[in-house]
Amino acid sequence: MRRQVPLILCFAFGIVMALTEFSPHPFSQWLNEEIIDWTLVIGPFALVLAVATLVQSHWTRIRRRSEYWQYSFLVFIGMAAMVLIGIPLGQRHEAFVWLFRYAQVPMDATMFSLLAFFIASAAYRAFRARTLEATLLLAAALIVMIGNAPVGDLIWNTIIPFEDNLPSTARQWILDNPNLSARRGIILGISLGVISQSIRIILGIERSYLGGVEGD
Amino acid sequence: MIEKLMNIDRRIVFILVALAVIIPSLLEVSFPITVSQPTRSTYDYIEALPPGSTVMIGFNYGPSSLAELHPMAKAVIYHCFQKQIRVIGMTLLAEAATLGDNMLKDVAAEAGAVYGQDYAYLGFRPGATQVLLGMGTAIDSVFEADYAGTSLTEIPLMADVTNYEQVDLVLDLASGSSTEWWITYTNTRYNQQIAAGVTGVIVSQMYPYLQTKQLIGLMPGLLGAAEYEKLIDRPAKGTEGMSIQSFAHLLVVGLVILGNITFFIQRRQGE
Repeated sequence: MRRQVPLILCFAFGIVMALTEFSPHPFSQWLNEEIIDWTLVIGPFALVLAVATLVQSHWTRIRRRSEYWQYSFLVFIGMAAMVLIGIPLGQRHEAFVWLFRYAQVPMDATMFSLLAFFIASAAYRAFRARTLEATLLLAAALIVMIGNAPVGDLIWNTIIPFEDNLPSTARQWILDNPNLSARRGIILGISLGVISQSIRIILGIERSYLGGVEGD
Repeated sequence: MIEKLMNIDRRIVFILVALAVIIPSLLEVSFPITVSQPTRSTYDYIEALPPGSTVMIGFNYGPSSLAELHPMAKAVIYHCFQKQIRVIGMTLLAEAATLGDNMLKDVAAEAGAVYGQDYAYLGFRPGATQVLLGMGTAIDSVFEADYAGTSLTEIPLMADVTNYEQVDLVLDLASGSSTEWWITYTNTRYNQQIAAGVTGVIVSQMYPYLQTKQLIGLMPGLLGAAEYEKLIDRPAKGTEGMSIQSFAHLLVVGLVILGNITFFIQRRQGE
């Protein structure tokens, strides 16, 4: 019963939502909009679940004294500070905005900025023209990188008085043609995969989303 | 020598990157900016909108991508206010809620825009795709109040904006997959015009949608911000950032070329 009820619900809602997408009948449209309203109500529960999972996983780290377990206390302190200020005072309160602007923004930005250093180091060490494919990729990457910075056009226009702004034009051509074709192929592949997986889930063939051990 | 170059200490590379960022920001070097067609399309579309039109902006990026997308948001919002185009802000990301609010308030103060008449900020609601679909029926079924808690019925701007039918353009400023959600759920289903401003990392993913006109325009990362600033003739953070980006890109290109030269010399010596 624990598995049958979710399977029946999944089948019913999957079929109904798929059919209502193709029917312009007022009842069909009403049903579609009604179900969307239900999911809007269900949505916030995902946040509750996320908070519960975060607390659970960090509490487990502290209990087991896993590597760097001390940092889990920082997670709790940060979360408690934002919640204790955000809920009673509101998100527009000075204290909440101050914490966001002077704690969260710099920390988040710093983490992301570090990527630039690692990318530069990794590019030097790993980006080698070992094969024809790697050479093509390398050439495309260098052209896009130079075309993405105005200095590329400036250098080209100063040194070579032929075809103004060639780096940015070449970059745009790469993005508009080989990149677009490859990306479209990927999108088509992903879409076909999503459709087939959805059909498997709706029909109850794919049940891993239910969790637990097969046959429970 | 070659061996040394091949195994260069990564801290040296880190110092070079730091210098490539610090020096141009101190020298305030500037470079001429060439505007790409996808950015120009976004500008042209907004430029052609009559006063009183409505643009909805999705602030779908967190603080980590703020440096790239904030200048873009600022330029586009300023352009809208200049053209007397009304702006409705919202976000699908919890961490972007404060960020969007601050941005709209800052630009409104510069442009003299009035809350409730020229712009409104709805804030965040969980459930991304449901939010996008729900707004197609009625915006107030998803956001019953704005970010400050004021009921939408009390906001003059929202009186004649009930769903996407009254929104002339959605501009998604994204560091993740949100642009694809907008395309799937609002362009395909509600025929909503969409433009996007995205981080440099994901810009290449957007080109198929640009070709099919599911995106009417696209601004690529900090370069997109600089291009838009040039179009509205208001250089700001995006333009300033171009000198830093130029030096950093030159450095990475130089490192890759140097790395490959040493690689080929070593391979030849090995043979």
